[in-house]
Amino acid sequence: MNRYLFFGALVVLALVYPLLVQGIPVWERMGALVLLAAIGASAWNIVGGYAGQVSVGHAVFFGFGAYAAVVVYTHLGWPPIAGAPLGMLLSVILAAVIGVPTLRLSGHYFSMATIAVGELVRVLSSTSDFLGGAQGLGGPAMPRSVFDLSFLSATPFYYIFLAVLAFLLGLTWWIERARMGFYLRAIKDSERAARALGVSSGRYKLYAYMLSGAFTSLAGSLYLCMFGFVDPESGFGILISVKMVVMAALGGAGNLFGPLVGALILVPLEELSNSYLGGRGAGLTFVVYGAIIVIIARFLPSGLLSLFRPRPSKPAPKSEIASGHAD
Amino acid sequence: MKTTRRGFSTGAAITALGLAKGAGAQAAAVKIGVIYPLSGNSASAGNYSKQAIEVGADVINNGNADLAKIMPLAKGGGLSGLGGAKIQPIFADNQGTPAAGQNQALRLISEEKVAALIGAYQSGITVTASAIAERHGIPFVNGESVAANLTERGFKWFFRVTPVAIDFARAYSEFLREQKAAGQKVGSIALVHENTEYGNSVGSVIGEQFAKDGLSITQKIAYSANSSDVQPQVLQLKEKNPDVLIFISYTSDAILYAKTMKEVNWKPSIMIADNAGFNDPAFVKSLGTTVEGLVNRSTFAGGKPGSVPALFNELYKKKTGGDDLDDVSARGLQGFLVLADALNRAGSTDPAKIRDALKATDLPAEQMVTGYDGVKFDDKGQNVKASTLVTQMRGGKYVAIWPKARATDQVILPYKGW
Repeated sequence: MNRYLFFGALVVLALVYPLLVQGIPVWERMGALVLLAAIGASAWNIVGGYAGQVSVGHAVFFGFGAYAAVVVYTHLGWPPIAGAPLGMLLSVILAAVIGVPTLRLSGHYFSMATIAVGELVRVLSSTSDFLGGAQGLGGPAMPRSVFDLSFLSATPFYYIFLAVLAFLLGLTWWIERARMGFYLRAIKDSERAARALGVSSGRYKLYAYMLSGAFTSLAGSLYLCMFGFVDPESGFGILISVKMVVMAALGGAGNLFGPLVGALILVPLEELSNSYLGGRGAGLTFVVYGAIIVIIARFLPSGLLSLFRPRPSKPAPKSEIASGHAD
Repeated sequence: MKTTRRGFSTGAAITALGLAKGAGAQAAAVKIGVIYPLSGNSASAGNYSKQAIEVGADVINNGNADLAKIMPLAKGGGLSGLGGAKIQPIFADNQGTPAAGQNQALRLISEEKVAALIGAYQSGITVTASAIAERHGIPFVNGESVAANLTERGFKWFFRVTPVAIDFARAYSEFLREQKAAGQKVGSIALVHENTEYGNSVGSVIGEQFAKDGLSITQKIAYSANSSDVQPQVLQLKEKNPDVLIFISYTSDAILYAKTMKEVNWKPSIMIADNAGFNDPAFVKSLGTTVEGLVNRSTFAGGKPGSVPALFNELYKKKTGGDDLDDVSARGLQGFLVLADALNRAGSTDPAKIRDALKATDLPAEQMVTGYDGVKFDDKGQNVKASTLVTQMRGGKYVAIWPKARATDQVILPYKGW
């Protein structure tokens, strides 16, 4: 009962947040930034958290989404958001192409393969004239119609991102309870055991990867609509992948709200530390940012949300280690 | 060290405030938002530019007797057009990402209430940061981003002071035609460029400009900047033996070319390098003496004693403990001074008035820190008087040789090499 009350309060807070900070552009924007990061991290969570396949190359999908949006604008003159479905489609295809060979790898080897693909795509994109090369491409400088999603305030973005995040979390919640959710958790705990019980592990891992890629791509398209520019580093850079992983891990990977909690903490932390410390130079921002991540990783390795749950009994981490060696 | 300095200037400002008498209330400081990469890959460039702008603000607020003879702004006592208001740069870190650059631009506009923005070094970040300024109707002055499309966006609040590729191409072309008139051979020209965005785009701009001016490029060689051997390319050059050789290269490839040319013992009579690799301190230190007489470009060179560049360089040296102004920091400082001049003439912090003043900017060459012919903006916000100095390697150091008005040394040709 209490839980529903708490959840309801959170939903109401999310809906009225822009009204609370109305007239303070920095905080209006902060809300949108948190939600955008949460979309990316929640999308990663499907394959990285639930299925336990730690991809460190999700920037590939993010960049596909961002570039799809800017390419339909640059080459066809469409509003950038029209590129989102294209980006998602291409990302699903790409996920299948990458996933079939790499998802056979286990543990660190899968992570390494995803990094390699990410870096490869980044380098290739910087030599492509079609994608603007190393200089990147910009979206519409001045809004031509409302479909260009070029707003003075960040509040419209906030509600667009909120709707997308709600849909994504709803879908994840449904998967969690459906057959696929049980399969994914079984694969995460021990792929070998899952297979012995008749779970078609390769297929379900691939489904999770494709779904995750599609939504990460959507996050990329939304990013482009808000910021209006992408180049190889801001589209395919490895930091984008790492941030998704860190946010999900901080809040609690494999937990429905974990990535959102991670984004709620890391995004304001990054923005505020940059705003108040960044101007002095010397990169103090990242020192503070890094220190907090280290502290959380040291004292709460399974994420902040683990504070609010009964502690898992001891064997759980053991089986995780075992799964690292399976296959 | 930095904190101490800030503490000192705050103290100085308070003293100045206390000493200012009458004239009603002392005008509040005018805040200028400055967005630079203070962390990340380009942090060193950003931090040098930050220090250069701090020097500029100090000169405007506290005055400099020598500079005041040339620049009205250097009389001290802040911006006279605004009742002696001090100019206060507020620095923000773009972290090398377009997103952070835009977030910080919004913060500076909405929280710090800056009168105008400067930045943001990387072209991509200038794109996103200036888009926010445009939507909020705040002037944005860019001192150093060279992507051609920045001034093609139809923006009304964007002003770019720096020269771009076409200005460099024009400078080379004019320089070569002058040498031709002076009796040098420029009949055959070889263009050697690395094959990514930088080399390809600058190479094609030079090609178009030269074709227009009747200079013929007879040989074009594209190569990969991270190749470990350039002997085939140098042998191709040796075979054709062009009069003029132009390089568009990064650092490690510049070093390879200089070494290989010495090994195969071939040199053209004029050798030009387009900044970048050949200006890198790593190149100058290790190979400066093997490329004696190499012609290069830079928007900054020491200048004659008592000139604006020389005086600012002295102040900058004092502040940084020995570093000279360079191509990037000087352009950043120049952007700041252009904005300060416009603010002073606007006599107001109203963005529309500042923009009108920027549009009416007309600064003469002798007030430039950089080697521009002056500052005057066209309808797109590009400085039409932006240009570059042509420099030449003399005993391990670049000196300005062109245009004549701002040259400190004579042109010495042919290229001597090692």
